Amino acid sequence: MKSVGRILPPASGFAAVQLLVILVVVAALFVFPYLVVNPYVLHLMILLFLSVAMGESWNVIGGYCGQYSVGHAAYFGVGAYAALMLLQYQHVAPWWGVWVAIAAALVISLLIGTICFRLRGPYFVLASIAVAEIIRLVVLNWKQFTNGAEGILLVDIPPLKVGATVLTDWLSKTPFYYLGLILALATLLVNYLVQHSKLGYFLQAIREDQDAAHSLGINLSFYKNVALAISALFTAVSGVYYGLYIGFIDPASVLGVDLSVQMVLICIIGGIGTNFGPVVGALVLVPLSEALRANLLSKVLFSLGVVKETSRVGGFLKENLAHAHVLIYGILVVVVILFMPDGVLGFGRKLIAQRSRPFSAKPTSLVGGLDGSA
Amino acid sequence: MRVLLQSTASGILIGGVYALVGIGLTIIYGVMRVINFAHGELLMLGMYLTWIIFTSFGIDPFISIAITIPAMFLFGAFLQKVLINRVLNALPQNQILLTIGLGLVLSNLVMLIYTSDYKIITTSYSSSTINLAGLPLSLPLTISLLITSVITGILYVFLLKTDTGQAIRATAQDRDAAQLMGINVKRMSVLAFGIGTALAGTAGALVSPTYYIFPQVGGAFTLKAFVIVVLGGMGSVIGATLGGIIIGVTESLAAVYISSGMKEVFVYVLFLLVLLFKPSGLLGRSRM
Repeated sequence: MKSVGRILPPASGFAAVQLLVILVVVAALFVFPYLVVNPYVLHLMILLFLSVAMGESWNVIGGYCGQYSVGHAAYFGVGAYAALMLLQYQHVAPWWGVWVAIAAALVISLLIGTICFRLRGPYFVLASIAVAEIIRLVVLNWKQFTNGAEGILLVDIPPLKVGATVLTDWLSKTPFYYLGLILALATLLVNYLVQHSKLGYFLQAIREDQDAAHSLGINLSFYKNVALAISALFTAVSGVYYGLYIGFIDPASVLGVDLSVQMVLICIIGGIGTNFGPVVGALVLVPLSEALRANLLSKVLFSLGVVKETSRVGGFLKENLAHAHVLIYGILVVVVILFMPDGVLGFGRKLIAQRSRPFSAKPTSLVGGLDGSA
Repeated sequence: MRVLLQSTASGILIGGVYALVGIGLTIIYGVMRVINFAHGELLMLGMYLTWIIFTSFGIDPFISIAITIPAMFLFGAFLQKVLINRVLNALPQNQILLTIGLGLVLSNLVMLIYTSDYKIITTSYSSSTINLAGLPLSLPLTISLLITSVITGILYVFLLKTDTGQAIRATAQDRDAAQLMGINVKRMSVLAFGIGTALAGTAGALVSPTYYIFPQVGGAFTLKAFVIVVLGGMGSVIGATLGGIIIGVTESLAAVYISSGMKEVFVYVLFLLVLLFKPSGLLGRSRM
């Protein structure tokens, strides 16, 4: 047995180069606000961090455990509502409120898990949507408690103090930038830890074959619920973060089905069940939809001479293309599902694998090897 | 008592349209085992098609279904050939995501072209009622229930009596066996998606005189269609008809006796209860 131990390298840890790259990127991200002060760029980065956090949170239950919840807006919205209502009506600072938000999301995840995990495949998807819709409708109609469709407009956030020194008064985007960065990194770390733990192996076994996993003694409902709880926890924190940053929440924006779909899409487009898939997904989606929102696409079309700005079609595009940024989500997901079912990340890896070993007998083993370290 | 009868009757009227939406979804699921999350958006397209025909040619919504049905059928067949056919053997999750993406594309394209303003079709009879044994019923909804019954009847005869209908049912029962019996299952899939799309489009046309027409109207119908289909039993046409009526009546009663904002909550709670306690649905055993 000793000789086997010598031949096989230890199966843990990052390769040194990759670790170095990650450290450099993280360090650069921490220095970033000192170099770039343009608030719009910071806003974009904040949206990016939020998308990464949402995608990575969903990835735990959807990617590793294979339970495609399309009701994650429930945790996001409940988290946002819990923290913002406490802040607005009871003047509880959000760094205390976030714990209430987490607790609420965990309770709801347990409830949803108990109901929905008895169901499989498409039925689970439908049940998760139905539960999220029930929560949305209750929040929408319970006007005395949640202020209904009018939502909650945050007046101000109390300054964060340690002793007498004010750390931040939340007036600029910089504190939100760091908060978002930490949140995104935390969710990435959680994904890494889940993937490389016993829990992660159990979850992946459940994803690959529930019945086989069950017959090997894996308690299906327990591990599914654990994965959902982890996922719900970070989704709720993302919700609190969103609420504090935007300063306004209503049932349509934090509890709608489209938000749940968006979380799934981030993972699908990047590459589901991988550590960096949601990061890639967010890197693709956020700039694209922001470019559409800022009407960059029509400007590009005009400058290329495809459509004249003064023509009827040009004026129409200029007027309306900005409202259709969700369209890009739809087109992307159709293209990704049809042509790169492993997401952009998986597609890229396949391309690299093909190029480096054109006659490889087992391209999958190479992909698997990269998987473990990425 | 009068209120109860009144709300039950109007529940049945709207339930007829729901049944049409549900039957479309269940046929698609039965033949292809694909859950179509873009179903509500197809209904929305039917609404817009009716609205376009009404505003540009002044043709009555109940007459223009003669154009809507074949147009939507062709569109459905096209979607099946170009998109759905490619994911027939993919993971169910990927099929669901593809149709979700398709739904996003459809609703946002319509929004791009016609903006998200609410449109209405105002006919001379939009708000008129007829009396049935002392109960005032909405005239457009009553006409749409009549049309729904005729279409459902034709569909039953088609599925039960014609060769093509039997081939569709055979494909739904066992795809491989049907193929071995010489049935062209690919053609059946195209037909099934076409019929499903046509039914959704027809439902959209039928409710267009009484509903607001806007690009996001489909979402609520998609979810309701699932509830109807699961309630009746996935793949069962009779079940979907029954499910549609049950959902229509539940909604109508909840709106009258509890609150109109919460009516959908009861539909979803009913849905969860059925999923938990009778996942095969009311008529789950019989496949179509």
